[in-house]
Amino acid sequence: MNAPAVQTHSTFDASEAAAACRAPVLRLSAVAKRYRMYRSDLDRLLEIVTGRPRHQDVTALSGIDLTVGHGEVLGIVGRNGAGKSTLLKLIAGMLPPSEGSIDIHGRVGAILELGAAFHPQMSGRENVYLKAAIAGLTRAEIDALVPEIAAFADIGPFIERPVKTYSSGMSARLAFAVATAVDPDVLIIDEALSVGDGAFARKSFDRIMAFRDAGKTILFCSHSLYHVEAICNRAVWIDQGRIRREGSPAAVLADYRAELERADTASAQEPTGVTVDTRQTPARILSVVLSADGDEGRSLRLRAGRSNLSVRVRFRIDPTLPPPSVGVAFLTADQRPFAGATSARDGVLMESDSQGEGEAEVMFPALPLLKGHYGIAVYLLCERGLHVYEQATILDALQVEDSAAERGIGLVSLPRQWRLCAGAGSPGETPTAYAEPDAVASSPTSAR
Amino acid sequence: MRARALATALPRATADGLIRPLAALWQQRLLLALLLRREIVGRTSGTLFRAGWLLIGPALQVLAFWFLLDVVLRVRLPGHVVFLDYFLLGILAWFLVVEVLQRALGIFAEQAALYQRGDFPLVLLPLLPLVMATLVHGTLYLVVSTLLLGIGALPAAAAVLGLLFLLLLPASYLLAVLGHFLRDLRQLLPFLLTMGLYVTPILYTPDMLPAPLRPWLILNPFADIMALIHHLLQDMPVTIGNWLRPLTLWLALLGPAWLLFRRSEPHLRETL
Repeated sequence: MNAPAVQTHSTFDASEAAAACRAPVLRLSAVAKRYRMYRSDLDRLLEIVTGRPRHQDVTALSGIDLTVGHGEVLGIVGRNGAGKSTLLKLIAGMLPPSEGSIDIHGRVGAILELGAAFHPQMSGRENVYLKAAIAGLTRAEIDALVPEIAAFADIGPFIERPVKTYSSGMSARLAFAVATAVDPDVLIIDEALSVGDGAFARKSFDRIMAFRDAGKTILFCSHSLYHVEAICNRAVWIDQGRIRREGSPAAVLADYRAELERADTASAQEPTGVTVDTRQTPARILSVVLSADGDEGRSLRLRAGRSNLSVRVRFRIDPTLPPPSVGVAFLTADQRPFAGATSARDGVLMESDSQGEGEAEVMFPALPLLKGHYGIAVYLLCERGLHVYEQATILDALQVEDSAAERGIGLVSLPRQWRLCAGAGSPGETPTAYAEPDAVASSPTSAR
Repeated sequence: MRARALATALPRATADGLIRPLAALWQQRLLLALLLRREIVGRTSGTLFRAGWLLIGPALQVLAFWFLLDVVLRVRLPGHVVFLDYFLLGILAWFLVVEVLQRALGIFAEQAALYQRGDFPLVLLPLLPLVMATLVHGTLYLVVSTLLLGIGALPAAAAVLGLLFLLLLPASYLLAVLGHFLRDLRQLLPFLLTMGLYVTPILYTPDMLPAPLRPWLILNPFADIMALIHHLLQDMPVTIGNWLRPLTLWLALLGPAWLLFRRSEPHLRETL
């Protein structure tokens, strides 16, 4: 058994610099974490004193091998209780591993519980000094950082007032500003993308993106699979304390989503979409209008594969911000998104007037939805399509009816062709023709 | 086997038990200063005199003692030593000891927010009550020593504070861990300290004890410490035993206290 170890290397000499760019910034080797459960604190004390075990192990993580390189953005997904937070705490140095080793090159910054551990009676400035000193900064370094932190947190003269006079949003902003101002080499973010009010959420998101663009290593843990897919270039799925899947976000999340859907009750408790605080967002959806086949409104009847659906979104954004992007997602009856599009991913730039108002329309020609009831979610996002300003959901927006043109199976009609072979079972036979679905439907016997 | 391993580890732990906390004290001085400030603000927030109360409170107690013992009761000791001087130099040192021991017992629970959400150096926490008490009570001690004995007593008073700081170092780590996992101690210690005040020559000199009881003082390390304090400040007689007994106990505690702290570190982080 390897001795549990956490090593951090905070400095490099010049000769190591080039190698360091290629070397992993974080390496976990056979890491396990077991929490010790005791009947009483006295049992725990007796074990500490005598060295004789008096506990039962509860395994939180086992056999974790993970290497993360410079500039990687690693998404960590998994259900509640899977071990994600324990993993992040191990990497942040808050917990020692029970087995294995954790090797970290550089300073780690963790945004795990924002607004926590501020002293209520000390001023914001004094709390900044305390937090930064805990992070290992010198007084001179902190002196240099304080103006930037105060500016970023945007709390003005409140920086000199006791934290107990702050709103929860102000505390969260200050905490986020401190955690990210210490210029960590590895930034750990646990469910902290929507910090404070809407305007600051956008600002904090931009800062995280700046870390990514600057080539910092980010470990991003979130239930927002949309964000994980959008931000990360690799993902791991933690399940029951082990890495169940590791790879590209698209591949890992596809498996994870499938698992969530299999576990119906669990998935109902775990949001797979995006939730936003819309109270003080800097961008608002003003209206959403659906139209198809000459009808207009928020609830339409459509013909499968025939109707042209148009979604018109009117928005207003703070004119000092770049024009937003718009996303439209189709939802199942139980509100799971299954298809959609965003203007950012399609490379379409929105425009807004001097008041920040604008309108976008997206058309889905010959909508390939099959018979059923569907909802529509409209997202107003930042210009990069990553941060959600506001979301509007229209339940039961579309009632799609069968049409002669479309009688597929499932939710969406897939383009398809059938190949009809003259002698099925004879490998050498040449296909005689490709048939469109309608042709197949009109001569069912020929498809046998 | 375990006993052999422990015997091997103890000499190193004894050295570490002294060196590591002192090294942390220096290396983390900024953090420690901020924590002290945090504590002072927390303890005196909303009051008119703010941090001044940390000194005003004990100073008022000193005044009360002076009024009772010197003005009202006119207590006198045989010989050249003034009883008020003897009493104040002893009781103020005792207050320091009491504050360190009592606060050390609950320091890990009290400061849990600091290490619940970050990689905080736990080694600093048992030092916090020690440094805080030395600063607050130490300042008053220096002032009172100077007032009672003259400016020439300052070096000796500073030496007393240094001695107390070092002697209390292993006790602070030991009690911080024991108090965290054995909370009954928090209930028991105030009683033990009250008893300690009565069985330690603070309100009386060792000579004032009945002769059959005097030999028992060797079982009380605080009696030796008081003897050393009065020797350093008031040139009262001291025996080699008064030096050796606390030194031996201190050396014996340094290693186990440090080992216990090191072993309990992962438990402390896990339990919160």
